[in-house]
Amino acid sequence: MISTILESIFIDPWPFWAGGIIIGLLVPMLYYFYNTALGVSTGYGNLVKIFLPARHLQWIKSKFPETYSWRVYFIGGIILGGFISSVFSGNAGFTAEMGSFTAIIGWPALAGAVYFFTGGLLLGLGARMAGGCTSGHSIHGTANLHISSILATIMFLIGGFISANLIRITLMGGVW
Amino acid sequence: MNKKLGFLGFGTLFGFTLSRVGASDFDLILGMFTGRDYTLVWVIGTAIIVGAIGMQVLKRTKQPVKSGEALKISEKKLGRWSLLGAGLFGIGWGLSGACPGTVLAQLGEGKIYGFFTFFGMIFGTYLYARLKEKHPSL
Repeated sequence: MISTILESIFIDPWPFWAGGIIIGLLVPMLYYFYNTALGVSTGYGNLVKIFLPARHLQWIKSKFPETYSWRVYFIGGIILGGFISSVFSGNAGFTAEMGSFTAIIGWPALAGAVYFFTGGLLLGLGARMAGGCTSGHSIHGTANLHISSILATIMFLIGGFISANLIRITLMGGVW
Repeated sequence: MNKKLGFLGFGTLFGFTLSRVGASDFDLILGMFTGRDYTLVWVIGTAIIVGAIGMQVLKRTKQPVKSGEALKISEKKLGRWSLLGAGLFGIGWGLSGACPGTVLAQLGEGKIYGFFTFFGMIFGTYLYARLKEKHPSL
């Protein structure tokens, strides 16, 4: 009995609703405990302050007075959560695999690095221009019925639809 | 509870959940857009519905915030460039098979390409800070 429960938590892949319920509950829980909106991408401003020479930039100065704010701890927690998940499911450790990207496209490592760096750059720049990301806009904002967040989410989905299908058709030969 | 430690805990729960449900899987994100696998559409949809119900319940309780202060829901405003930025974000989402939260779970799982997405995100945020110096409307 107990081992079945532990297995379904730590080893088997979760059904969609289990993940959806927990992620959805984070929105009211963070308000209840800290009166704070769920959101990840703003914390990358803290990471800029930590890793890059950017302390003189006005935006960094005014928006991130505290370098190691709760946002850095939240980011650290998400990394830790991914690590714990991989340890218990028996997949811990570094891997160069990235699903169908490495299985089908099979680019040399350097090209793959440039590819993912470019994707990340668009995510970082785009999230700041949009004022939030999947968690802040699509989950927190949409759950609060904010029109701005619903519009941003529609644009997220349009952008993702275009790039993912371009990749599928061009780089994956349309087979995937 | 100390806010920073609390967020470390909630972050761990968030990252663990993202990883367990497959949100940190490149193929599931690509598949959500190409129609191959809609798992993550259902995850996000469930999260929005549960979050919406939870917020309605919270608003109707006597003390919505533990400390007793008034509930302050932050609403993001759209600027002139916001929807363009959202489109760029979407393109990055489809390319990298990750978003700002799930890439962190990928780091914990040890996916090396995820580190490049992560560094790209930091650089993209830095680029925004640089551009904003000259273009305050951004």
